[in-house]
Amino acid sequence: MSDPNAHTAAQEAFLAKKKAKKAARRNNDIEEGNLNITSLMDVVSIIVVYLLKSYGTDPVVITPTAGQKVPMSRADAPIQDGVPVYVSQRSITFNAERIVQLDENGDVDPTQVQGQLINPLFDEMSIEAERSKQTAAAKGEEWEGTVILVGDQNLKFSTLVKVMYTAGKAEYSQYAFCVIQVNG
Amino acid sequence: MARRKKKNVDEGEVEANLIPVMNVMFLLIPALLLAMEVARFAAINVSPPKFAAASEQKDDKKKEEKPLNLKVFIMSDGYRVSASGQQAGAEGGKAADSTKPTIPLAKPGADLKDFDRYDYAALEAKAKEFKRLYPKETVVTISAENDIPLQSIIGTMDALRGGECQLMNAVQGNEEVPEACLFWSPIVEAGAG
Repeated sequence: MSDPNAHTAAQEAFLAKKKAKKAARRNNDIEEGNLNITSLMDVVSIIVVYLLKSYGTDPVVITPTAGQKVPMSRADAPIQDGVPVYVSQRSITFNAERIVQLDENGDVDPTQVQGQLINPLFDEMSIEAERSKQTAAAKGEEWEGTVILVGDQNLKFSTLVKVMYTAGKAEYSQYAFCVIQVNG
Repeated sequence: MARRKKKNVDEGEVEANLIPVMNVMFLLIPALLLAMEVARFAAINVSPPKFAAASEQKDDKKKEEKPLNLKVFIMSDGYRVSASGQQAGAEGGKAADSTKPTIPLAKPGADLKDFDRYDYAALEAKAKEFKRLYPKETVVTISAENDIPLQSIIGTMDALRGGECQLMNAVQGNEEVPEACLFWSPIVEAGAG
């Protein structure tokens, strides 16, 4: 006759072994999941390089002032290096500073104008011209005084002429109108 | 002889922690996207307005060469076009016809802010006529009344340059200015009416 105690001991040993195996299997399952970001890194690097390249090819970054509507044109000539002057319907901005306030008709305050010359704008442009001349001289380059006029669609011709005249007096001899390119 | 036991060096792969780099990259993308141009900008190169006593010597030279001296004056009721000091379509014996513009408005009575009020097609046709007579001429003097908006001036420049004119390669120095370009070198002048 078999010993019942021996049977239980064997059964317990079997169960313990099974439990240990199960525990071991469970431990194997809890492996740390590694996220493979190498391919994502490649994609992101390509995007960053593309964006940097397209950013780097623009000689001048044009950022029209709030509410300013840049005129549309079929012109396709690229913008050359120069100093932008933003003329909206309400103000003239140069070097990120609002220099002159325009009235509701888009005219310059007569007290700030002498003939065709806009005095505050002339002062700022002269300083900038002097600075860029010195920079060009330090680099051993010839200074080309180019001004990029970023005007509003509704900018009056009289105001435009005053800005151009002022730029001319501040020794800027080349002018370009900034436009948004449209096809056809 | 006793053998020296080789040390068991663990040569496991060391993975670079790319997460900080990824963070920088993800910040760069929106920053660069914001800095990029949404609209495609172009430039129209113009010569400065002439004021009193400016470049008289040049004018003397021009007289010798007998240039076309094409002038377009933008008025509130249309274009006044003149060449060699004679207004196109003026009454007989008169240099300028003060009663009528050479090219009237396409939309008579339209507001100044309606930029399509000018007859750009008729102006381009007129420019083509002059170009046929003076194929080497490229300069046009543009002037306007005080209230004329910039968009109308730009539209006028587009019409005078010609609808099929592509200056991109010429400006970059890759090729010569195409024949389709009419008067692509504008001078903006104050009160040249």
